[in-house]
Amino acid sequence: MIRPATSSFHLRTTDERLAMWRAASQRVVPAAVTIALIVATTVPVFVSVPIVPDLGLLAVIVWTSFQPRLMPPWLAFVVGATADVVTGTPLGVDATLLPAVVIFVRLVSARFTVRRYAFDWLFASAVIVGAAIVEWRLLAFTGVVGPLGPLLVRAVTTILAYPAVVALAARVERRLAAA
Amino acid sequence: MDWPQKRRTSFARREQNLALIGAVVTGAVLATGLLLLVLSRINPAYTTRLRGTAVDLVAPFWASIRKPFDALSGGLDRVGDYIGIVPRLRQLTADNIALRRAVQDRDAVAAENRALRRLVAVAAPRLDLVTIARFAGSSSGSYVRSAMIAAGTRNGVFSGQAVRADAGLVGRTTEAGDHAARILLLTDPTSRVPVIVVRTGQAALAVGAAGPLLAIRDRAGAEVPLKRGDRLVTSGAGGLFAPQIPVAEVVDVSDTPRARPFADPGALDFVAVYRVYLPVPEAPVALTAVPVPREARKK
Repeated sequence: MIRPATSSFHLRTTDERLAMWRAASQRVVPAAVTIALIVATTVPVFVSVPIVPDLGLLAVIVWTSFQPRLMPPWLAFVVGATADVVTGTPLGVDATLLPAVVIFVRLVSARFTVRRYAFDWLFASAVIVGAAIVEWRLLAFTGVVGPLGPLLVRAVTTILAYPAVVALAARVERRLAAA
Repeated sequence: MDWPQKRRTSFARREQNLALIGAVVTGAVLATGLLLLVLSRINPAYTTRLRGTAVDLVAPFWASIRKPFDALSGGLDRVGDYIGIVPRLRQLTADNIALRRAVQDRDAVAAENRALRRLVAVAAPRLDLVTIARFAGSSSGSYVRSAMIAAGTRNGVFSGQAVRADAGLVGRTTEAGDHAARILLLTDPTSRVPVIVVRTGQAALAVGAAGPLLAIRDRAGAEVPLKRGDRLVTSGAGGLFAPQIPVAEVVDVSDTPRARPFADPGALDFVAVYRVYLPVPEAPVALTAVPVPREARKK
């Protein structure tokens, strides 16, 4: 008799079922961490220039470059739509931007085998600045017309926050691997 | 009898199929994002309910996180109050005497104003306070400058109400959930407030510019120059904001004049929400009730 590679749910033992749920719940962790970071950026700090880094974008970039399977484009879409609703940007701006970032990062990192920290940071910086410019145009498309300057200021703080988000993502990944 | 055996698929074929499905899903996701963008462009209000819920979820989070910090800073303030108390008390006593005199003058002027208004039968709508609420979140999202307050439809806060602090106008509510609402700040690029220059009486628009300052646009009688320190107050045009709320002070008198808002959201804890000053009538005004020149009438 040929056993299928994955047995159906009712044929499994309790342990196997628990393991399955555990594995499934682990796939939710990156998205949950990313959304928590987005909520954290709504901290009630009022400065006239947007200095709070775009942690959601950073988290998406970091997950995509280190664990591409855990941040597929559709998940980036869900994260982006959440970010739009939570931060008050017109719905669709981040929901388009984040999947596009994921696709771009996947395409490019498939061509580079360099895995040096400085290189990753530089690459992420380029993506962040590019994303700021694209976001500027997307916002203008939905009717929020403004200068590019504030977005670039935020891009700089986002680039500076890269090491912190990498450290957080690394911790979460280590916990996931140990679990 | 067994089912006819399926054609064996190789791993390469499986990978190929997965890649194809992945590409289709990716394309669909991007298309959905673009569709949402177009919807946002056509009708920005279609997500009102969803946004209200999101505000409800996020604002209590910050309201509870702020509590210990507020308590701490309140305690420190109480200690600080005792330092340098005597000179401050003298200063306040002197101020109080001057202010009492000013209040008496003001009362006299107000009484005179009331009498004159009664004489010419000016109809003044009432200015209704809805609630006083605490700031509970901001948007750092790009340059959409908004804030969240911890009061929602349960407290009578709805979309499109005026929000002010004692120093001046803060903005207007744009989304309301059950227990929280979002405020569009004056500095948001989509914010436009009809104002009057107090010294000259010129009408203008105070437009957000995604920075600390507001741009002054469409000023009536632009040949009369502005001065630094000119005060801008709401004109009441449009009916959302009541007239005479302080808005900003002119700081730049170049060709593109700029003004600094009186109310700095960074220095605020509580704001007051006011009902719409002149609500839009529920039913559209019947055209027959409006005098129309005979030439323009339909035959």
